[in-house]
Amino acid sequence: MSKRHSNASEMAKIDEQDILKRIQDPQSKRKAFEQIVNVYSRQLYWKIHYVVQNHDDTDDVLQNTFIKAWKGLDNFKGESAIFTWLYRIAYNESLTFLKQQKQMASIDDEDFVEQANFVADEYFDGDNTQELLMQAVSTLPAKQRQVFCMKYFEDKKYEEISDLVGTSVGALKASYHIAVEKITNFIKSKE
Amino acid sequence: MIMSTKNNRIFAPEGNGRYPFKVSDAYFDNLTARIMEQIDAVEQEVPEKAEEVPARTAQLFHIHKNRRRNLWISTMSIAASLVLIVTVALKFISMPSSTPVEQQKAENHYTQDNFNEDLMTYSMVDNVDVYYYLSAEDFSE
Repeated sequence: MSKRHSNASEMAKIDEQDILKRIQDPQSKRKAFEQIVNVYSRQLYWKIHYVVQNHDDTDDVLQNTFIKAWKGLDNFKGESAIFTWLYRIAYNESLTFLKQQKQMASIDDEDFVEQANFVADEYFDGDNTQELLMQAVSTLPAKQRQVFCMKYFEDKKYEEISDLVGTSVGALKASYHIAVEKITNFIKSKE
Repeated sequence: MIMSTKNNRIFAPEGNGRYPFKVSDAYFDNLTARIMEQIDAVEQEVPEKAEEVPARTAQLFHIHKNRRRNLWISTMSIAASLVLIVTVALKFISMPSSTPVEQQKAENHYTQDNFNEDLMTYSMVDNVDVYYYLSAEDFSE
């Protein structure tokens, strides 16, 4: 993901109070939700991609995320920011997807070992060294992968990540540090 | 700290890396429309399911109407039987064992029975018997 994508979507801010009012009105609910989808789908896409690391799977999870959000829209009272709410649905959907994928793999082949093959991915836009880095990232647990990607690729502040994932800044720093160590060891082992 | 392979820098833990994936803008252009279509489809499914529920219930109610009535009668019969059994059982359970006073009553009852028996016997005595008794007395004297 280029930072251009991320920044462009973050610039498209919406008036959350206005959206909240409109989603409570059955007449304007659909239109308001359409606006939410339009503004946040790009950001959510990449957050999901960090976890599932594949375009088609990301697309499925993203659609499921918005369908879940629509179904739960009446229960959303604005206790958190709309994007935080969407992000948490997306993250849970991503984890559910990974679990299903793991189960399918274990049914098909007991000796299955997850090995990311990014070169074959038409959406991969990097060289061999970047592929090695992404292979290292793919060995991280889902949450650590999220934290690492948001910090490393988006250069987000720990405070921002903390608001989003609901984990303390200290725990996030530790998580990032462990992720860096694992990646370093992985790359060293491949050299 | 910068990790590198022979020629390329690949990992600077301080961040600022580029996420090496791309998606065409066309994908995002159509995304909102596709998602809203799916949501409309979901919305259409929900009322159809909601309509099915009362229809099925009514159908089930119609099919099992007689069976329900039979079930009700059976239930009532069982309940009535249970009430009867419990009432009788309670009567027996609540009856206390015989006390000395009752034993006394029973003895009195027995004595009364003997008296009645004698009375019956005497009432059946005819003249022959009277003569027999009297002559017997004469013999004994």
